[in-house]
Amino acid sequence: MLRVKDGDDGAFAQIVQRFQNRLVGVFTNMFADSSLAEDLAQEVFLRVYRAKQGYQPTAKLSTWIFQIAHNLASNSRRSKGRKKEVQFQQSLSGSQPVAFGEERLPENSSLMPTRQFEKSELQDRVQQAMSLLNERQRMAVLLHRFEGMSYADIGEAMDLSPQAVKSLLSRARENLREALESFVQ
Amino acid sequence: MDKLSRLTPEDRENLIAYLDGELDEQATRHMESMLVESSVARNDVEALSRTYDLLDELPRPNVPNDFVERTVATAKMEHVSVPISKRPWFRKTTQILTLCGWTTLLVASAAVGSLVSSRYFQSQDDVLIEKLPVIENLDVYYEVDNLEFLNRLSAETSLLNEMAREANDE
Repeated sequence: MLRVKDGDDGAFAQIVQRFQNRLVGVFTNMFADSSLAEDLAQEVFLRVYRAKQGYQPTAKLSTWIFQIAHNLASNSRRSKGRKKEVQFQQSLSGSQPVAFGEERLPENSSLMPTRQFEKSELQDRVQQAMSLLNERQRMAVLLHRFEGMSYADIGEAMDLSPQAVKSLLSRARENLREALESFVQ
Repeated sequence: MDKLSRLTPEDRENLIAYLDGELDEQATRHMESMLVESSVARNDVEALSRTYDLLDELPRPNVPNDFVERTVATAKMEHVSVPISKRPWFRKTTQILTLCGWTTLLVASAAVGSLVSSRYFQSQDDVLIEKLPVIENLDVYYEVDNLEFLNRLSAETSLLNEMAREANDE
């Protein structure tokens, strides 16, 4: 990032390369919309680029980037606040969202191997369970599970104390357990 | 601890933190002894772990190949597309400098004008002061009437002496 600050656009490209899939992964599972996820991820990088002159290496780069991502996700959520809340799930192959609760049956389901169908169904159920979490719980879970971030780092990214993160993740995982327990027995 | 007793909310919270490796040494030892003693705790740990592992089923999409290129280009374009002359701070500074320039020019013009007018254009008072000796002797000048005659008279010494004697005699 210090190289980006010095005007090295190649270093900026490396940062984008390093975080692009991670950010899109988090946003996709936050909003279940891959197109929106890409736009938000790009906006995160643009904010990073804009803020390069004022960058101070006081925190981990990843924590700083996910802090921007969390703020952006919060703003995005607020801007959509008045819209009717409908939970969507993302189809695996396309960018069009599909409403939760609908059985996602591919047109050629008769040709699909049973195992693949089961995997797809399981993914639907996991997404459905995630949609039961509030957005703060979901963000904390994604940062913890996908990014392997510590409670302290999650707290820094989400402006919470480590104790608050501990409680947040505890409630989230209890909720996930309730929703998914039947799949692990 | 009773091996079948339910866990307290705090224990459940700590159990999850234990799974995440976020407890200090003392709390970790406490959790480990609880797991040894309580089958409920062991079942909870297993269920929590297995359900959490299911999150690996969530989609992890890959971005399009040109994402990096597009993002870098957008960032650079955004940076370049606003030339320095169009940036708010530059425009504000320009406005302030222009205002200062015009104010300075106005003050300088006023000062120069005042200097020039005082140097080359005399006021009525100045004229009166300059001509004061003439004004003070204006009556004498009227009586003289003809300056040339006065000059010729002053050249006639004998006549002036005679006039002086007569004046003395009277």
